[in-house]
Amino acid sequence: MVRVSKELMQKAATLVSDFLVCPLSKQPLRYCQESNSLISDAIAVSFPIKNGIPCLVPRDGKILNEEDASKPDNDTNL
Amino acid sequence: MMRGALFSLFRRKTKPPFCFSAPLFFFTTSTSKLNIFDRQLKRNQRDRAAWLMPQTDPLLHTVAHNLLDRLQDCKKTFPSALCLGGSLQAVTRSIRGHGGIEKLIVMDASHDMVQRCKNDYHASNNENIETTFVVGDEEFLPIKESSVDLVISCLGLHWTNDLPGAMIQSMLALKPDGLFLAAILGGETLKELRIACTIAQMEREGGISPRISPLAQVRDAGNLLTRAGFNLPGVDVDEYTVKYPSALELIEHLRAMGETNALSQMNAMLKRDTALATAAIYDSMFASEDGTVPATFQVIYMTGWKEHSSQQKPKRRGSATVSFKDIQKQFGNQS
Repeated sequence: MVRVSKELMQKAATLVSDFLVCPLSKQPLRYCQESNSLISDAIAVSFPIKNGIPCLVPRDGKILNEEDASKPDNDTNL
Repeated sequence: MMRGALFSLFRRKTKPPFCFSAPLFFFTTSTSKLNIFDRQLKRNQRDRAAWLMPQTDPLLHTVAHNLLDRLQDCKKTFPSALCLGGSLQAVTRSIRGHGGIEKLIVMDASHDMVQRCKNDYHASNNENIETTFVVGDEEFLPIKESSVDLVISCLGLHWTNDLPGAMIQSMLALKPDGLFLAAILGGETLKELRIACTIAQMEREGGISPRISPLAQVRDAGNLLTRAGFNLPGVDVDEYTVKYPSALELIEHLRAMGETNALSQMNAMLKRDTALATAAIYDSMFASEDGTVPATFQVIYMTGWKEHSSQQKPKRRGSATVSFKDIQKQFGNQS
């Protein structure tokens, strides 16, 4: 697994809150530290972050199971 | 083998060889269920191009430079910019010092291409522009509404299935008074190759299949800008002729740029025989005296601004206070 530095994480967080949205629903994204991915709660899809680059092509997204999507409490809300 | 090729050339010399009028679907369908291009294939091709592309490609560099030159003409500064697909590297490399950009988002559909730009950025120690990298699709732009001041797309949008849709999304991503700058390849691009491919296929296979993608015409570009809702649209065209030792080098170059065919309905088989015949026909029809073969690249540059109250606009109809008759009375005698 790729270890990401804290600074980079912070940078990604501001990027997400300032510019990025879900490509399909255009709703805000949430950064999930555990799986190192961006999650669109509106359509329950997670987009991976590979090597510090968020991959927001719809085809790269993974549809989340309902149990995973329904407990966003542990993650940092953006 | 060659005699056949030449024969058909002479036979066709009296009239223009073949008029390629592939219908431009993306301008007529608003809800595009019809996919002309295979976006996944294009992604793979761009992955490959990330490895093949030389550090400086003269054509891409010229286009990127020409596009960025337009920023010098604006007094406005653009603190945050979004740079979309196509010749990313050429743009990101020369964007420094243009338009007062502080934050740059670099986006492409291919992960390898973005990774290459990222490596390039870290190697160049270019710290005064805060750059972030995203993998995304122009057709599904993952950018928040009204968040960037400038959208640059250099030679990428002609591969979208829904060009108006992609442009509308860019328009929405712009802040008011934001600038949209795009360069796309126009319909005259690779006309020589189109002709050579058609003749070779008719001769070897007895029919034709689209080998070169349909491209936007210049007259469509203005309509596209207004349709996407941009104000003060501006369109201009440049034609570049690149000379290659032979048609095979042209194909190599297209591959290195990631501009090879990605039609979703294309015939995936290209017979060696047909390919060689194409090269031979290309050479015999278009070769110049010094033995090189030219290829035309027509680039359409589009500029548009997102609506803002400070922009000039026509006055309301009937709001004039001076009659044209009076103007003519005043100035008509002088001329």
